[in-house]
Amino acid sequence: MKKVLGLSSVALLGVLAACGNNAEENNAPADNAANNNTAENNEASENEEAAADIDYPEGPIEIIVPYSAGGGGDTVARIIGDALSEELDTQVNIVNREGAGGEIGISEMAAAEPDGHTLGVFGYPDNYVLEETGNTDFTFDSFEYLASFDDVPHALFAAPDSEFESIEDLVNYAEENPGEVTIGESGALGLLKILAFEDQAEIDVSPVNYDGGGELINGLLGGHIDIASSSITAAPEIVDAGGEPLGYAAPERLEMFDEYPTLEEQGYDMDLGVRRVVVAPADIPDEVRDALTNVMDELGQSEELEEQFTNADLPYNYLDYDELNDYLNNTNESLQPIIDNNQDDF
Amino acid sequence: METLDILLSTLSPSVLMIVFIGVLIGIIVGAIPGLNGAIGISLLLPLTFAMDPQNGLLLLGGIYMGGMYGGSITAILLNVPGDIVAAPAAMEGYPLTKQGRSKEALYYSIFSSMVGGFLGVLVLILFTPPLANFALMFGPAEMFFISLSGLVVIGAIAGNNLYKSAFAALLGLFVSTIGIDMAAGAERFTFDALTLRQGINLIPVVLGLFCFAEMFLNIGKKANEVITYKDQPIKRMTVIKDIFKHKYLVAKSSVIGTAIGVLPGVGTTLAVFLSYGEAKRTSKRRQDFEKGNTEGIIAAESANNATVGSSMVPLLALGVPGSPTTAIIAGALIIHGIVLGPSLFEQRPDVAYTFLYGMLLTVFAMGIIGAVGIKYFSYILKVRQEFIVPTVLIFAIFGAYSIRNSLFDVLIAIIIGVFGAVFKKTGVPLAPIIIGVVLGPLIERNLTRSMTIAEAQNLPLLQYMLTNPLAIVLLVFVILLLVVVVRMRKKDFG
Repeated sequence: MKKVLGLSSVALLGVLAACGNNAEENNAPADNAANNNTAENNEASENEEAAADIDYPEGPIEIIVPYSAGGGGDTVARIIGDALSEELDTQVNIVNREGAGGEIGISEMAAAEPDGHTLGVFGYPDNYVLEETGNTDFTFDSFEYLASFDDVPHALFAAPDSEFESIEDLVNYAEENPGEVTIGESGALGLLKILAFEDQAEIDVSPVNYDGGGELINGLLGGHIDIASSSITAAPEIVDAGGEPLGYAAPERLEMFDEYPTLEEQGYDMDLGVRRVVVAPADIPDEVRDALTNVMDELGQSEELEEQFTNADLPYNYLDYDELNDYLNNTNESLQPIIDNNQDDF
Repeated sequence: METLDILLSTLSPSVLMIVFIGVLIGIIVGAIPGLNGAIGISLLLPLTFAMDPQNGLLLLGGIYMGGMYGGSITAILLNVPGDIVAAPAAMEGYPLTKQGRSKEALYYSIFSSMVGGFLGVLVLILFTPPLANFALMFGPAEMFFISLSGLVVIGAIAGNNLYKSAFAALLGLFVSTIGIDMAAGAERFTFDALTLRQGINLIPVVLGLFCFAEMFLNIGKKANEVITYKDQPIKRMTVIKDIFKHKYLVAKSSVIGTAIGVLPGVGTTLAVFLSYGEAKRTSKRRQDFEKGNTEGIIAAESANNATVGSSMVPLLALGVPGSPTTAIIAGALIIHGIVLGPSLFEQRPDVAYTFLYGMLLTVFAMGIIGAVGIKYFSYILKVRQEFIVPTVLIFAIFGAYSIRNSLFDVLIAIIIGVFGAVFKKTGVPLAPIIIGVVLGPLIERNLTRSMTIAEAQNLPLLQYMLTNPLAIVLLVFVILLLVVVVRMRKKDFG
């Protein structure tokens, strides 16, 4: 009897282990999708023809995300991974490697085998700012930037019952009372965004660092800081609780947030935000890169994909390989002086 | 949607099944060292994308609820808490197991978890708006004081040697400083290693101290050297009656769990140790603590499950996730295109209310699975050590690796495990180390935040920190707690 019980306990543990494995596999929402993609088969085979001379992909693809599960970057990676899996008819696994503001995961992407089976999704300019302000193992040129599907502008929010009703109010007050306005920020780009605004408006404020977006918004809604510097996607929650977006840093109003003003129209020339980029290690063979950019272009035309982004509150904006690389080079140039001017603050 | 419709849909077979599956998964991941509810939720998150929002939410909510309890099973039976919040359950439950009273300990744990879990969800249903406003009152200063109270409570909790306890707490605080200081950007104790720059994650520390250390000490021991299997029968009703006899203790612990659970970023650990320390302070059988006092189990277990409901208050009321687990749940909602915040109850009452009432069901599912399962859980004690040690170690390594898919975390867990084994042999209490690791960043970050804001407002630091009446109340509370703990210690040790 004793033996039987012992065995059954061991068996129970075995079941636990099996559960662990299953759970691990569940990381890839794409598995199921890969099995019932008959509808997409035609498109997929076209792609295969285009890239007939190379065998890509050979086996599953891994997408590294340098942020935790459930966040915006993770959501983007999962949507793209799902679609990529259908298009390429292979399994796509999303691997979260968070830590050190994204540096851990981004380093790993740069060091991955450049065969197209390890890709990455991260929020540009996280990599650029990390590189310029720290001692990173990667540079901007460690990657091939394949495509980008969303652009989330940065925004400034006023606390409920705030005396600031516009950016002008804020700037006027800050001009008369240098250093008195507290602006909360979080994440690798948080400080940079505030410094960029300080440079642009020629004011001096006090940045207050928070550990995460949730804590930051809590601090704002409780009135413990005057302004929160976050992405415009936080607007619904903040407005619901009585806060107010003073402006967001996009060239023109986005359809998704057209009830709120941009900084541009209030006289501050700022185009700053996070663009989630799909990357591969730099030494990837040209044929594999072309195969991937072709697939990305296919995805870029998919209305279903756009809808998934919109449903997840992510402002959809597709840039193909060439457009993206132009965008990145331009943005690098405009970020450089902000970083150089404020080296001491980082 | 009518209330009745919502209630009926909550009781539909599919919802009941989802709730059961969620809780069961939660208990399993909670029981496995190194895995916890948060990890279980992030693993199953993608599955919920294909479900109805309310079902997906309830699956995750069930995992959250079950995960808070599951850790106690391995804590009581093997002295290996599956999760940090089960550490007090190990401190009190394992001694009971050694006396052959494992079932009694397990019953205390499940029924206290149920009461705490139920009260937490009830508070979520009834008092979400006022509690959310209460949580918003906590700025950097208030957070600083409440975190300090956690450090003070170390004095009440562990050990019988002041210097060893103080050493343990300071060691924990030290470990928490490793990595990049986000406020100033300075690197501390990183030796230019990228892996150290991200700091030491809490889970490898917990695994090392509670799991590896225990297993290292058990290696090479014969089965009956560690534990002799005895099974003293106990009636469920006896335990339930005794829990109701301690109604003030249950109420107090659930209130502590609920109140701390509401605060964003503070976490369950503080709630659990605060109520455990409180239970010890007020107990008539204080000398029994760490020798198997059921009051310690009641306090800690009702507190940790009470945080499940209350930690969702800021999420539902403001759309602001207050903990890593609720942040992942928030992510699930956003994918479904559901806007969190006050408008949730107007725009999607079906989702909001099915979820709320369904969370009550998770409590009962947990109770049923726990109460029925206890008979079988205890059989684990009959397994010989040479099977237990490698199995637990494999799970622990898997758990440490799974946090960030990093071997570095496994290495950290093993190194800390060696230290933990030495500490256990030399009588250095382990709980204060964990409390130090958890509270270090909270205390430091909120102090630096306070300093920045005070400077911006041109106020002296102390004047800024005591601007709000709530901060003054909390400061008085910390001072009172300190006085009480010092007097208690004097009485105990002369």
